Amino acid sequence: MPNQSETVRIRRRMPAPREVVYEAWTTGEGLRYWMCPGDVISAEATLDVRGGGSFRIVMKTPTEEHVQTGIYEVVEPPAKLVFTWTGSNHPPTRVIVEFLDLGDESEIVITHEGFTIPDIAKRYESGWGAIADKFAAYLAQHHGQNQPRR
Amino acid sequence: MVEYSRDQLSQVLAAVADPTRRAIVATLARGPATISEIAKPFPVSFNAVSKHMMVLERAGLVERKVSGRERVCRLRPRGLRRANAWLEQYRQFWEDRLDALENYVASKAKERRDLNAKSK
Repeated sequence: MPNQSETVRIRRRMPAPREVVYEAWTTGEGLRYWMCPGDVISAEATLDVRGGGSFRIVMKTPTEEHVQTGIYEVVEPPAKLVFTWTGSNHPPTRVIVEFLDLGDESEIVITHEGFTIPDIAKRYESGWGAIADKFAAYLAQHHGQNQPRR
Repeated sequence: MVEYSRDQLSQVLAAVADPTRRAIVATLARGPATISEIAKPFPVSFNAVSKHMMVLERAGLVERKVSGRERVCRLRPRGLRRANAWLEQYRQFWEDRLDALENYVASKAKERRDLNAKSK
């Protein structure tokens, strides 16, 4: 079987020159600020931005703590970053971030790659298992209402 | 973004609600196999596995192809992909972060402009 892998790609126009956006990705201050939206209440980032350097981001939600680590593979200021992305709850993948120059503005392209089909299937077994269990419970509850109580 | 209908999704959820079917999906992730090969490690009959396979097939997760005298089962990456909420979670993760990044760089760019205006 060919080595199939899945990719998530996202493009977004940024209201700032690419140097500013690049800096937001490569300083602890920047990362801490924007890496923690939603229910993340705090984030710590330690980074050594150079080829072969590593980073570690700890994100805390009220109930959980996520640790993301990785190694910078390509560091080309202010145009490109490539790093591995390893989390406590998923196999290692790779993230490519491109910063496109549009003068006073810029565009960012994130390519998150390396989700292999076997990995997805494995996740499927565990992750979907949990979802499916909830779904089954939901079904049981709803269908159960029409059935006589035991 | 998510390209499956609610019906397909509930079929998929129903298909993977069963631990045996989840184990079959995991087995097929290692490569295509015949029903007898798949049935071997399970304490259930060939017929039971065949029935499970039909459920997975209807959900679009697995396909069967005739190969000689046997029918070979394989995963349908497309089916798996389309029904894969996990990848969508990553997309959502980055979309959320980019929302925050957008605000952050907008304020940084403004700081820079203000600084430049002052120094002029």
